[in-house]
Amino acid sequence: MEDFATELMSELENKISFIIPIFGGIPVPTAVVATWGIMAFLMILTLIFVRNLKMVPKGPQIYVEALVGFINNFFGEILGEEGKRYIPYLGTVLIYIACANLAGLVGVTPPTKDLNITAGLAFMSIILIEYSGIHEKGGKGWLKSFVQPMAILAPINILELFIRPLSLCMRLFGNVLGAFVIMEMIKIVIPAVIPVPFSFYFDIFDGLIQAYVFVFLTSLFMKEKMEEYK
Amino acid sequence: MTGLIAIGAAMAVMTGVGAGIGIGIATSKATEAIARQPEAKGDINKALLLGCALAEATAIYGFVVAVLIVLFLK
Repeated sequence: MEDFATELMSELENKISFIIPIFGGIPVPTAVVATWGIMAFLMILTLIFVRNLKMVPKGPQIYVEALVGFINNFFGEILGEEGKRYIPYLGTVLIYIACANLAGLVGVTPPTKDLNITAGLAFMSIILIEYSGIHEKGGKGWLKSFVQPMAILAPINILELFIRPLSLCMRLFGNVLGAFVIMEMIKIVIPAVIPVPFSFYFDIFDGLIQAYVFVFLTSLFMKEKMEEYK
Repeated sequence: MTGLIAIGAAMAVMTGVGAGIGIGIATSKATEAIARQPEAKGDINKALLLGCALAEATAIYGFVVAVLIVLFLK
């Protein structure tokens, strides 16, 4: 158990890839490098697929349009007409988290295994959630929403400001970490063949579900902030 | 001491029981609802997924606590 604990600990550490030699050296963690890789990958895909767009879609354009249509429909249904302006951000986060969770398949450590990345995503989510409330109702209406449905619930409403990003962050991190630890254990017990179906479940299915759940919850919270209390 | 730490971690992971029961009940009710009203499938799926995500969070917290116990108590 002692060996396993130390091995786990070394896997959990946020390794530093390299150090930028300015201002006395800025350490760059592996997760950030992996994120840059995903950004470059998505950017290249975007540049390839938006070439020669036609009115009547043909070939790969059909798939791209299907994906964009799915994202627009999915968020449009939840957020409604007034929330249309947030769809591009949510769609980007969905695609990014899905890519990040699937990065384990090509041998890259998933960036979402780093608590700092998930914390950053959750922080951006809570800012967007509150911003959508302020934008929709104005500052006064937003402040008033803390004492609804009744004034006695104000402490709970304020606590929610911290609980929501914390639970978003821990859910994503815990799932990716859990899948990782279980896969490591299975590999220690049986190194061949058996890990493959488990990898399908934990890496592909669970990763995609978690990406979906993250943006789904963010958009639900936004919807809740945007609508007037009746 | 190691044995006690292992028992503590195991007790933390017991939170999974609650999450399992909760998700099981939610799924059984969702199946019933879809059987009764197949046209509401999309909405039911969304509600089910939300409930499962929230129920599952407790299991995840338990797991994170268990990992922290194993790693930081030596």
